[in-house]
Amino acid sequence: MRPFLLEGGSVSQMPVAEGKNVQQTVELLTRKLEMLGAEKQGTFCVDCETYHTAASTLGSQGQAGKLMYVMHNSEYPLSCFALFENGPCLVADTNFDVLMVKLKGFFQSAKASKIETRGTRYQYCDFLVKVGTVTMGPSARGISVEVEYGPCVVASDCWSLLLEFLQSFLGSHTPGAPTVFGNRHDAVYSPADTMVQYMELFNKIRKQQQVPVAGIR
Amino acid sequence: MADVLSVGVNLEAFAQAISAIQALRSSVSRVFDCLKDGMRNKETLEGREKAFIAHFQDNLHSVNRDLNELERLSNLVGKPSENHPLHNSGLLSLDPVQDKTPLYSQLLQAYKWSNKLQYHAGLASGLLNQQSLKRSANQMGVSAKRRPKAQPTTLVLPPQYVDDVISRIDRMFPEMSIHLSRPNGTSAMLLVTLGKVLKVIVVMRSLFIDRTIVKGYNENVHTEDGKLDIWSKSNYQVFQKVTDHATTALLHYQLPQMPDVVVRSFMTWLRSYMKLFQAPCQRCGKFLQDGLPPTWRDFRTLEAFHDTCRQ
Ligand SMILES: [Zn+2]
Repeated sequence: MRPFLLEGGSVSQMPVAEGKNVQQTVELLTRKLEMLGAEKQGTFCVDCETYHTAASTLGSQGQAGKLMYVMHNSEYPLSCFALFENGPCLVADTNFDVLMVKLKGFFQSAKASKIETRGTRYQYCDFLVKVGTVTMGPSARGISVEVEYGPCVVASDCWSLLLEFLQSFLGSHTPGAPTVFGNRHDAVYSPADTMVQYMELFNKIRKQQQVPVAGIR
Repeated sequence: MADVLSVGVNLEAFAQAISAIQALRSSVSRVFDCLKDGMRNKETLEGREKAFIAHFQDNLHSVNRDLNELERLSNLVGKPSENHPLHNSGLLSLDPVQDKTPLYSQLLQAYKWSNKLQYHAGLASGLLNQQSLKRSANQMGVSAKRRPKAQPTTLVLPPQYVDDVISRIDRMFPEMSIHLSRPNGTSAMLLVTLGKVLKVIVVMRSLFIDRTIVKGYNENVHTEDGKLDIWSKSNYQVFQKVTDHATTALLHYQLPQMPDVVVRSFMTWLRSYMKLFQAPCQRCGKFLQDGLPPTWRDFRTLEAFHDTCRQ
Protein backbone atom coordinates (compact mmCIF):
# COMPACT_ATOMS: atom_id res chain seq x y z
CA MET A 1 0.00 0.00 0.00
CA ARG A 2 1.44 3.25 -0.98
CA PRO A 3 -0.82 6.25 -0.48
CA PHE A 4 0.14 9.76 0.21
CA LEU A 5 -1.73 12.95 0.49
CA LEU A 6 -1.57 16.00 -1.56
CA GLU A 7 -0.43 18.99 0.39
CA GLY A 8 -2.68 21.28 -1.54
CA GLY A 9 -5.61 20.56 0.64
CA SER A 10 -6.94 24.03 0.30
CA VAL A 11 -8.94 25.29 -2.62
CA SER A 12 -7.07 28.51 -2.91
CA GLN A 13 -3.97 26.56 -3.77
CA MET A 14 -5.53 24.94 -6.80
CA PRO A 15 -4.68 26.86 -9.98
CA VAL A 16 -8.08 26.46 -11.57
CA ALA A 17 -9.99 27.32 -8.47
CA GLU A 18 -10.00 31.04 -8.92
CA GLY A 19 -13.59 32.08 -8.72
CA LYS A 20 -14.66 28.51 -8.07
CA ASN A 21 -15.69 26.78 -4.92
CA VAL A 22 -14.58 23.48 -3.45
CA GLN A 23 -17.29 21.52 -5.19
CA GLN A 24 -16.45 22.90 -8.61
CA THR A 25 -12.75 22.23 -8.14
CA VAL A 26 -13.43 18.64 -7.10
CA GLU A 27 -15.53 18.21 -10.22
CA LEU A 28 -12.75 19.64 -12.34
CA LEU A 29 -10.22 17.24 -10.83
CA THR A 30 -12.40 14.18 -11.25
CA ARG A 31 -13.19 15.15 -14.82
CA LYS A 32 -9.46 15.32 -15.55
CA LEU A 33 -9.01 11.89 -14.01
CA GLU A 34 -11.80 10.45 -16.10
CA MET A 35 -10.29 11.96 -19.24
CA LEU A 36 -7.03 10.23 -18.33
CA GLY A 37 -8.90 6.93 -18.38
CA ALA A 38 -9.41 6.43 -14.66
CA GLU A 39 -12.46 4.44 -13.63
CA LYS A 40 -14.78 5.09 -10.71
CA GLN A 41 -14.56 2.49 -7.98
CA GLY A 42 -16.93 3.36 -5.19
CA THR A 43 -16.46 5.92 -2.48
CA PHE A 44 -14.25 6.45 0.54
CA CYS A 45 -14.32 8.29 3.83
CA VAL A 46 -11.67 9.24 6.38
CA ASP A 47 -12.73 10.86 9.64
CA CYS A 48 -10.87 12.26 12.61
CA GLU A 49 -11.91 13.30 16.07
CA THR A 50 -9.69 15.22 18.46
CA TYR A 51 -9.38 14.32 22.14
CA HIS A 52 -7.47 16.24 24.76
CA THR A 53 -6.32 15.20 28.15
CA ALA A 54 -8.99 15.90 30.71
CA ALA A 55 -8.26 18.88 32.95
CA SER A 56 -8.56 16.76 36.08
CA THR A 57 -5.60 14.61 35.08
CA LEU A 58 -3.29 17.49 34.30
CA GLY A 59 -0.50 17.98 36.75
CA SER A 60 1.25 21.22 37.50
CA GLN A 61 0.04 24.37 35.83
CA GLY A 62 1.31 25.24 32.42
CA GLN A 63 1.64 21.66 31.27
CA ALA A 64 -0.25 21.54 28.03
CA GLY A 65 -2.67 18.69 27.49
CA LYS A 66 -1.54 16.33 24.79
CA LEU A 67 -3.84 15.98 21.80
CA MET A 68 -4.90 12.61 20.59
CA TYR A 69 -6.59 11.98 17.27
CA VAL A 70 -8.92 9.02 16.78
CA MET A 71 -9.40 8.24 13.11
CA HIS A 72 -11.22 5.82 10.83
CA ASN A 73 -10.60 4.97 7.20
CA SER A 74 -13.21 3.19 5.05
CA GLU A 75 -10.29 1.47 3.35
CA TYR A 76 -9.68 -0.41 6.64
CA PRO A 77 -13.22 -0.86 7.94
CA LEU A 78 -12.22 -3.11 10.84
CA SER A 79 -9.57 -0.81 12.26
CA CYS A 80 -9.46 2.31 14.34
CA PHE A 81 -6.37 4.50 14.48
CA ALA A 82 -5.24 6.53 17.46
CA LEU A 83 -2.50 9.04 16.81
CA PHE A 84 -0.50 11.63 18.69
CA GLU A 85 1.11 14.49 16.88
CA ASN A 86 4.73 13.48 16.17
CA GLY A 87 3.99 10.45 18.24
CA PRO A 88 3.11 6.83 17.89
CA CYS A 89 0.20 5.57 15.85
CA LEU A 90 -1.88 2.89 17.44
CA VAL A 91 -3.85 0.56 15.19
CA ALA A 92 -6.74 -1.05 17.04
CA ASP A 93 -10.07 -2.80 16.45
CA THR A 94 -13.11 -0.63 15.97
CA ASN A 95 -13.98 -1.53 19.57
CA PHE A 96 -11.51 1.16 20.47
CA ASP A 97 -14.30 3.71 20.08
CA VAL A 98 -16.15 2.10 22.99
CA LEU A 99 -13.00 2.20 25.05
CA MET A 100 -12.68 5.93 24.43
CA VAL A 101 -16.14 6.43 25.95
CA LYS A 102 -14.97 4.60 29.07
CA LEU A 103 -11.85 6.74 29.20
CA LYS A 104 -13.94 9.90 29.36
CA GLY A 105 -12.26 10.81 32.62
CA PHE A 106 -8.86 11.01 30.94
CA PHE A 107 -9.56 11.96 27.37
CA GLN A 108 -12.30 14.36 26.42
CA SER A 109 -13.55 14.89 22.94
CA ALA A 110 -12.93 18.44 21.76
CA LYS A 111 -16.10 20.27 20.89
CA ALA A 112 -17.07 20.20 17.22
CA SER A 113 -13.67 18.86 16.36
CA LYS A 114 -14.85 16.22 13.97
CA ILE A 115 -13.31 16.64 10.54
CA GLU A 116 -13.69 14.26 7.66
CA THR A 117 -13.11 13.85 3.96
CA ARG A 118 -15.44 12.02 1.62
CA GLY A 119 -15.23 11.39 -2.07
CA THR A 120 -14.82 8.99 -4.95
CA ARG A 121 -12.16 6.36 -5.52
CA TYR A 122 -10.64 6.15 -8.96
CA GLN A 123 -8.62 3.31 -10.42
CA TYR A 124 -6.11 4.02 -13.14
CA CYS A 125 -3.86 1.12 -14.05
CA ASP A 126 -2.23 0.24 -10.71
CA PHE A 127 -2.93 3.66 -9.24
CA LEU A 128 -5.72 4.32 -6.79
CA VAL A 129 -6.73 7.96 -6.54
CA LYS A 130 -9.07 9.34 -3.91
CA VAL A 131 -10.31 12.86 -4.30
CA GLY A 132 -12.24 14.00 -1.26
CA THR A 133 -13.99 17.05 0.05
CA VAL A 134 -12.81 17.94 3.54
CA THR A 135 -15.63 19.08 5.75
CA MET A 136 -15.82 20.38 9.31
CA GLY A 137 -19.35 20.54 10.56
CA PRO A 138 -21.56 21.73 7.73
CA SER A 139 -18.98 23.53 5.62
CA ALA A 140 -16.51 22.36 3.01
CA ARG A 141 -12.99 23.36 3.97
CA GLY A 142 -10.75 21.98 1.28
CA ILE A 143 -9.78 19.12 -0.96
CA SER A 144 -7.73 16.06 -0.19
CA VAL A 145 -6.05 14.06 -2.91
CA GLU A 146 -4.61 10.67 -2.06
CA VAL A 147 -2.67 8.64 -4.54
CA GLU A 148 -1.75 5.06 -3.87
CA TYR A 149 0.55 3.01 -6.06
CA GLY A 150 -0.10 -0.54 -4.91
CA PRO A 151 2.78 -2.41 -6.58
CA CYS A 152 5.47 -0.50 -4.69
CA VAL A 153 5.89 -1.01 -0.95
CA VAL A 154 8.73 1.41 -0.26
CA ALA A 155 7.52 5.00 -0.37
CA SER A 156 10.77 6.65 -1.41
CA ASP A 157 11.27 4.17 -4.29
CA CYS A 158 8.36 5.47 -6.31
CA TRP A 159 8.24 9.14 -5.44
CA SER A 160 9.45 10.34 -8.87
CA LEU A 161 6.97 8.06 -10.54
CA LEU A 162 4.13 9.33 -8.34
CA LEU A 163 5.10 12.91 -9.02
CA GLU A 164 4.92 12.33 -12.75
CA PHE A 165 1.50 10.77 -12.35
CA LEU A 166 0.28 13.68 -10.22
CA GLN A 167 1.47 16.16 -12.80
CA SER A 168 -0.67 14.43 -15.38
CA PHE A 169 -3.85 15.58 -13.67
CA LEU A 170 -2.82 18.33 -11.28
CA GLY A 171 -0.61 20.20 -13.68
CA SER A 172 2.11 22.18 -11.96
CA HIS A 173 0.33 22.13 -8.62
CA THR A 174 2.07 19.08 -7.31
CA PRO A 175 3.15 18.83 -3.70
CA GLY A 176 6.57 18.37 -2.19
CA ALA A 177 7.43 14.92 -0.95
CA PRO A 178 5.51 14.16 2.24
CA THR A 179 7.66 13.74 5.30
CA VAL A 180 6.85 10.07 5.46
CA PHE A 181 9.04 9.61 2.40
CA GLY A 182 12.06 11.06 4.09
CA ASN A 183 12.28 9.18 7.33
CA ARG A 184 12.76 5.42 7.45
CA HIS A 185 14.37 5.16 4.11
CA ASP A 186 13.45 1.68 2.93
CA ALA A 187 10.68 0.88 5.38
CA VAL A 188 7.64 -0.93 4.06
CA TYR A 189 4.69 1.40 3.81
CA SER A 190 1.84 0.76 6.23
CA PRO A 191 -1.74 2.02 6.63
CA ALA A 192 -0.56 4.04 9.64
CA ASP A 193 1.63 6.11 7.29
CA THR A 194 -1.48 7.13 5.40
CA MET A 195 -3.30 8.07 8.58
CA VAL A 196 -0.42 10.25 9.76
CA GLN A 197 -0.62 12.14 6.48
CA TYR A 198 -4.37 12.61 6.79
CA MET A 199 -3.87 13.82 10.36
CA GLU A 200 -1.32 16.40 9.20
CA LEU A 201 -3.59 17.52 6.38
CA PHE A 202 -6.58 17.88 8.70
CA ASN A 203 -4.51 19.90 11.18
CA LYS A 204 -3.41 22.23 8.44
CA ILE A 205 -6.97 22.77 7.31
CA ARG A 206 -8.13 23.36 10.91
CA LYS A 207 -5.59 26.14 11.26
CA GLN A 208 -6.77 27.77 8.07
CA GLN A 209 -10.16 27.99 9.63
CA GLN A 210 -8.95 30.81 11.86
CA VAL A 211 -7.86 32.85 8.86
CA PRO A 212 -10.86 33.30 6.61
CA VAL A 213 -9.94 32.43 3.05
CA ALA A 214 -11.68 34.18 0.23
CA GLY A 215 -13.90 31.96 -1.81
CA ILE A 216 -14.65 29.53 0.96
CA ARG A 217 -17.95 29.78 2.67
CA MET B 1 4.61 -46.87 -60.59
CA ALA B 2 2.48 -49.92 -60.15
CA ASP B 3 4.69 -52.16 -62.25
CA VAL B 4 7.64 -51.57 -59.96
CA LEU B 5 5.68 -53.25 -57.30
CA SER B 6 5.52 -56.83 -58.44
CA VAL B 7 3.85 -58.18 -55.38
CA GLY B 8 5.61 -61.41 -54.65
CA VAL B 9 2.64 -62.76 -52.81
CA ASN B 10 0.90 -66.08 -53.05
CA LEU B 11 -2.69 -64.91 -53.44
CA GLU B 12 -4.09 -68.36 -52.84
CA ALA B 13 -2.32 -68.56 -49.51
CA PHE B 14 -3.58 -65.07 -48.72
CA ALA B 15 -7.18 -66.13 -49.11
CA GLN B 16 -6.60 -69.17 -46.95
CA ALA B 17 -4.83 -67.11 -44.31
CA ILE B 18 -7.72 -64.71 -44.11
CA SER B 19 -10.18 -67.51 -43.50
CA ALA B 20 -7.74 -68.97 -40.93
CA ILE B 21 -7.84 -65.66 -39.10
CA GLN B 22 -11.62 -65.76 -39.13
CA ALA B 23 -11.57 -69.30 -37.78
CA LEU B 24 -9.17 -68.28 -35.03
CA ARG B 25 -11.32 -65.34 -34.06
CA SER B 26 -14.45 -67.44 -33.78
CA SER B 27 -12.72 -70.13 -31.77
CA VAL B 28 -11.37 -67.50 -29.40
CA SER B 29 -14.83 -66.05 -28.96
CA ARG B 30 -16.13 -69.53 -28.23
CA VAL B 31 -13.63 -69.79 -25.37
CA PHE B 32 -14.96 -66.61 -23.85
CA ASP B 33 -18.56 -67.62 -24.48
CA CYS B 34 -17.92 -70.82 -22.63
CA LEU B 35 -16.37 -68.94 -19.71
CA LYS B 36 -19.21 -66.49 -19.69
CA ASP B 37 -21.89 -69.18 -19.60
CA GLY B 38 -20.22 -70.97 -16.74
CA MET B 39 -21.37 -74.39 -15.53
CA ARG B 40 -24.57 -75.76 -16.99
CA ASN B 41 -27.16 -77.46 -14.88
CA LYS B 42 -26.28 -81.10 -14.39
CA GLU B 43 -27.58 -83.48 -11.80
CA THR B 44 -24.45 -83.51 -9.67
CA LEU B 45 -21.95 -80.85 -8.89
CA GLU B 46 -19.20 -83.18 -10.04
CA GLY B 47 -20.94 -83.71 -13.34
CA ARG B 48 -21.31 -80.02 -13.80
CA GLU B 49 -17.60 -79.38 -13.23
CA LYS B 50 -16.55 -82.21 -15.48
CA ALA B 51 -18.70 -81.06 -18.37
CA PHE B 52 -17.49 -77.52 -18.00
CA ILE B 53 -13.82 -78.47 -17.96
CA ALA B 54 -14.20 -80.77 -20.95
CA HIS B 55 -16.00 -78.05 -22.90
CA PHE B 56 -13.36 -75.50 -21.99
CA GLN B 57 -10.57 -77.87 -22.99
CA ASP B 58 -12.19 -78.52 -26.36
CA ASN B 59 -12.41 -74.85 -27.04
CA LEU B 60 -8.78 -74.22 -26.11
CA HIS B 61 -7.71 -77.07 -28.35
CA SER B 62 -9.50 -75.58 -31.30
CA VAL B 63 -7.87 -72.21 -30.63
CA ASN B 64 -4.52 -73.93 -30.63
CA ARG B 65 -5.33 -75.73 -33.85
CA ASP B 66 -6.47 -72.59 -35.64
CA LEU B 67 -3.41 -70.70 -34.47
CA ASN B 68 -1.08 -73.36 -35.80
CA GLU B 69 -2.88 -73.32 -39.10
CA LEU B 70 -2.54 -69.54 -39.32
CA GLU B 71 1.17 -69.72 -38.56
CA ARG B 72 1.65 -72.31 -41.27
CA LEU B 73 -0.19 -70.19 -43.81
CA SER B 74 1.59 -67.01 -42.88
CA ASN B 75 4.86 -68.61 -43.91
CA LEU B 76 3.36 -69.39 -47.31
CA VAL B 77 2.07 -65.89 -47.83
CA GLY B 78 5.59 -64.47 -48.02
CA LYS B 79 6.64 -60.93 -47.28
CA PRO B 80 5.60 -57.93 -49.32
CA SER B 81 8.57 -56.48 -51.13
CA GLU B 82 10.52 -54.15 -48.88
CA ASN B 83 12.58 -52.49 -51.54
CA HIS B 84 10.03 -49.78 -52.14
CA PRO B 85 11.39 -46.48 -50.77
CA LEU B 86 8.23 -45.75 -48.86
CA HIS B 87 7.78 -49.33 -47.64
CA ASN B 88 4.18 -50.27 -47.17
CA SER B 89 2.91 -46.81 -47.87
CA GLY B 90 4.19 -47.36 -51.41
CA LEU B 91 1.22 -49.68 -51.82
CA LEU B 92 -0.95 -46.61 -51.88
CA SER B 93 0.26 -46.03 -55.43
CA LEU B 94 -1.70 -49.13 -56.39
CA ASP B 95 -4.92 -47.33 -55.68
CA PRO B 96 -6.65 -47.14 -59.06
CA VAL B 97 -8.69 -44.04 -58.28
CA GLN B 98 -5.77 -41.60 -58.28
CA ASP B 99 -7.93 -38.64 -59.24
CA LYS B 100 -10.30 -38.99 -56.36
CA THR B 101 -7.75 -39.74 -53.67
CA PRO B 102 -4.39 -38.26 -54.58
CA LEU B 103 -3.06 -39.61 -51.30
CA TYR B 104 0.11 -41.04 -52.74
CA SER B 105 1.33 -37.91 -54.49
CA GLN B 106 0.51 -35.88 -51.41
CA LEU B 107 2.46 -38.30 -49.32
CA LEU B 108 5.48 -37.96 -51.57
CA GLN B 109 5.25 -34.18 -51.37
CA ALA B 110 5.07 -34.27 -47.58
CA TYR B 111 7.97 -36.64 -47.44
CA LYS B 112 10.14 -34.41 -49.60
CA TRP B 113 9.11 -31.39 -47.61
CA SER B 114 9.94 -32.91 -44.26
CA ASN B 115 13.30 -34.08 -45.61
CA LYS B 116 14.11 -30.58 -46.70
CA LEU B 117 12.93 -29.14 -43.38
CA GLN B 118 15.17 -31.47 -41.46
CA TYR B 119 18.10 -30.53 -43.65
CA HIS B 120 17.56 -26.80 -43.24
CA ALA B 121 16.95 -27.12 -39.53
CA GLY B 122 20.27 -28.88 -39.24
CA LEU B 123 22.03 -26.06 -41.08
CA ALA B 124 20.31 -23.42 -38.96
CA SER B 125 21.20 -25.13 -35.73
CA GLY B 126 24.84 -25.28 -36.81
CA LEU B 127 24.88 -21.57 -37.59
CA LEU B 128 23.07 -20.58 -34.41
CA ASN B 129 25.42 -22.56 -32.24
CA GLN B 130 28.31 -20.48 -33.56
CA GLN B 131 26.54 -17.31 -32.37
CA SER B 132 26.11 -18.63 -28.81
CA LEU B 133 24.42 -16.70 -26.01
CA LYS B 134 24.54 -12.99 -26.72
CA ARG B 135 25.18 -11.40 -23.39
CA SER B 136 27.62 -13.86 -21.92
CA ALA B 137 29.38 -14.46 -25.22
CA ASN B 138 32.65 -13.00 -23.97
CA GLN B 139 32.93 -14.82 -20.72
CA MET B 140 31.87 -17.99 -22.44
CA GLY B 141 34.64 -17.77 -24.97
CA VAL B 142 36.99 -18.31 -22.06
CA SER B 143 35.05 -20.68 -19.94
CA ALA B 144 33.67 -22.86 -22.70
CA LYS B 145 37.09 -24.43 -23.15
CA ARG B 146 37.40 -25.37 -19.52
CA ARG B 147 33.86 -26.62 -19.40
CA PRO B 148 33.27 -30.30 -20.02
CA LYS B 149 31.84 -30.70 -23.48
CA ALA B 150 28.08 -30.69 -23.92
CA GLN B 151 26.36 -33.12 -21.67
CA PRO B 152 23.51 -34.40 -23.79
CA THR B 153 21.43 -35.61 -20.87
CA THR B 154 20.94 -32.28 -19.12
CA LEU B 155 17.42 -33.29 -18.27
CA VAL B 156 18.60 -35.83 -15.76
CA LEU B 157 21.07 -33.76 -13.78
CA PRO B 158 21.32 -34.88 -10.16
CA PRO B 159 19.34 -32.64 -7.76
CA GLN B 160 22.55 -31.95 -5.84
CA TYR B 161 24.05 -30.32 -8.92
CA VAL B 162 20.96 -28.15 -9.39
CA ASP B 163 21.15 -27.15 -5.71
CA ASP B 164 24.79 -26.15 -6.13
CA VAL B 165 24.16 -24.03 -9.20
CA ILE B 166 21.24 -22.23 -7.53
CA SER B 167 23.05 -21.58 -4.26
CA ARG B 168 26.03 -20.20 -6.19
CA ILE B 169 23.69 -17.76 -7.96
CA ASP B 170 22.06 -16.92 -4.64
CA ARG B 171 25.45 -15.93 -3.20
CA MET B 172 26.31 -13.94 -6.32
CA PHE B 173 23.52 -11.39 -5.82
CA PRO B 174 23.17 -10.06 -2.28
CA GLU B 175 19.95 -8.12 -3.00
CA MET B 176 18.31 -11.25 -4.32
CA SER B 177 17.33 -14.17 -2.16
CA ILE B 178 16.50 -17.54 -3.68
CA HIS B 179 14.61 -20.19 -1.80
CA LEU B 180 14.63 -23.63 -3.40
CA SER B 181 12.03 -26.28 -2.67
CA ARG B 182 10.93 -29.55 -4.25
CA PRO B 183 7.24 -29.96 -3.46
CA ASN B 184 6.55 -32.23 -6.43
CA GLY B 185 9.36 -34.76 -6.61
CA THR B 186 12.67 -33.94 -8.20
CA SER B 187 11.72 -30.76 -10.03
CA ALA B 188 12.82 -27.70 -8.16
CA MET B 189 10.77 -24.58 -7.57
CA LEU B 190 12.42 -21.30 -6.72
CA LEU B 191 10.99 -18.37 -4.85
CA VAL B 192 13.15 -15.40 -5.75
CA THR B 193 12.72 -12.24 -3.68
CA LEU B 194 14.28 -9.17 -5.21
CA GLY B 195 14.86 -6.47 -2.63
CA LYS B 196 11.50 -5.05 -1.59
CA VAL B 197 10.37 -4.82 -5.18
CA LEU B 198 9.04 -8.11 -6.37
CA LYS B 199 8.86 -11.87 -5.94
CA VAL B 200 9.30 -14.41 -8.68
CA ILE B 201 8.17 -18.00 -8.72
CA VAL B 202 10.38 -20.07 -11.01
CA VAL B 203 9.37 -23.60 -11.95
CA MET B 204 12.34 -25.69 -13.02
CA ARG B 205 12.73 -28.95 -14.84
CA SER B 206 16.24 -30.08 -13.99
CA LEU B 207 18.18 -26.89 -14.74
CA PHE B 208 15.74 -25.65 -17.36
CA ILE B 209 13.29 -22.95 -16.40
CA ASP B 210 9.81 -24.03 -17.39
CA ARG B 211 7.65 -21.22 -16.13
CA THR B 212 7.98 -18.02 -14.23
CA ILE B 213 5.48 -15.72 -12.52
CA VAL B 214 6.31 -12.28 -11.17
CA LYS B 215 4.31 -10.81 -8.29
CA GLY B 216 4.50 -7.82 -6.01
CA TYR B 217 6.54 -7.84 -2.82
CA ASN B 218 3.35 -7.59 -0.75
CA GLU B 219 1.38 -10.13 -2.75
CA ASN B 220 0.66 -13.62 -1.58
CA VAL B 221 2.68 -16.27 -3.40
CA HIS B 222 1.27 -19.28 -1.57
CA THR B 223 -1.96 -21.18 -1.91
CA GLU B 224 -4.19 -21.80 1.08
CA ASP B 225 -2.44 -25.05 1.89
CA GLY B 226 0.92 -23.30 2.04
CA LYS B 227 2.31 -24.46 -1.30
CA LEU B 228 3.80 -22.12 -3.85
CA ASP B 229 1.01 -20.84 -6.07
CA ILE B 230 2.35 -21.37 -9.57
CA TRP B 231 -0.89 -20.59 -11.42
CA SER B 232 -2.46 -17.32 -10.34
CA LYS B 233 -1.11 -14.12 -11.78
CA SER B 234 -0.36 -10.85 -10.05
CA ASN B 235 -3.19 -8.42 -9.30
CA TYR B 236 -1.08 -5.55 -10.57
CA GLN B 237 -0.77 -4.74 -14.26
CA VAL B 238 2.89 -3.83 -13.87
CA PHE B 239 3.82 -7.30 -12.63
CA GLN B 240 1.67 -9.00 -15.24
CA LYS B 241 3.69 -7.12 -17.80
CA VAL B 242 6.98 -8.07 -16.17
CA THR B 243 5.80 -11.70 -16.13
CA ASP B 244 5.28 -11.51 -19.89
CA HIS B 245 8.75 -10.07 -20.36
CA ALA B 246 10.30 -12.70 -18.11
CA THR B 247 8.69 -15.40 -20.24
CA THR B 248 10.19 -13.76 -23.30
CA ALA B 249 13.56 -13.75 -21.53
CA LEU B 250 13.29 -17.50 -20.96
CA LEU B 251 12.97 -17.96 -24.70
CA HIS B 252 15.83 -15.58 -25.36
CA TYR B 253 18.40 -17.09 -23.02
CA GLN B 254 18.76 -20.50 -24.60
CA LEU B 255 21.85 -22.63 -24.56
CA PRO B 256 20.87 -26.26 -24.24
CA GLN B 257 24.42 -27.42 -23.62
CA MET B 258 24.99 -25.08 -20.68
CA PRO B 259 21.77 -24.72 -18.70
CA ASP B 260 23.59 -23.25 -15.70
CA VAL B 261 24.73 -20.29 -17.80
CA VAL B 262 21.14 -19.80 -18.89
CA VAL B 263 19.85 -19.71 -15.32
CA ARG B 264 22.59 -17.29 -14.31
CA SER B 265 21.92 -15.01 -17.28
CA PHE B 266 18.21 -15.03 -16.53
CA MET B 267 18.80 -14.13 -12.88
CA THR B 268 21.21 -11.35 -13.87
CA TRP B 269 18.57 -9.97 -16.16
CA LEU B 270 15.89 -10.32 -13.48
CA ARG B 271 18.04 -8.44 -11.00
CA SER B 272 17.81 -5.33 -13.17
CA TYR B 273 14.21 -4.98 -11.94
CA MET B 274 15.63 -3.84 -8.63
CA LYS B 275 14.99 -0.30 -9.92
CA LEU B 276 11.62 -1.07 -11.47
CA PHE B 277 9.99 2.00 -9.92
CA GLN B 278 13.05 4.23 -9.93
CA ALA B 279 14.45 4.01 -13.44
CA PRO B 280 13.01 6.28 -16.15
CA CYS B 281 12.70 5.00 -19.70
CA GLN B 282 15.99 5.23 -21.61
CA ARG B 283 14.22 6.33 -24.73
CA CYS B 284 11.45 8.78 -23.75
CA GLY B 285 12.94 9.75 -20.39
CA LYS B 286 9.62 9.41 -18.60
CA PHE B 287 8.52 7.19 -15.77
CA LEU B 288 5.02 6.43 -16.91
CA GLN B 289 3.42 5.45 -20.14
CA ASP B 290 -0.24 4.41 -20.04
CA GLY B 291 0.10 4.20 -16.28
CA LEU B 292 2.97 1.72 -16.37
CA PRO B 293 6.64 2.27 -15.50
CA PRO B 294 9.34 1.02 -17.89
CA THR B 295 8.75 -2.73 -17.58
CA TRP B 296 11.11 -3.90 -20.28
CA ARG B 297 14.80 -4.57 -19.65
CA ASP B 298 17.11 -4.89 -22.60
CA PHE B 299 18.58 -8.40 -22.74
CA ARG B 300 22.06 -7.13 -23.48
CA THR B 301 22.41 -3.75 -21.76
CA LEU B 302 19.76 -4.28 -19.05
CA GLU B 303 18.54 -0.73 -19.67
CA ALA B 304 14.96 0.16 -18.79
CA PHE B 305 12.40 0.84 -21.51
CA HIS B 306 8.68 1.08 -21.79
CA ASP B 307 7.19 -1.84 -23.63
CA THR B 308 6.43 0.42 -26.59
CA CYS B 309 9.72 2.32 -26.42
CA ARG B 310 12.03 -0.63 -27.00
CA GLN B 311 13.45 -1.12 -30.44
ZN1 LIG C 1 9.52 5.23 -22.84
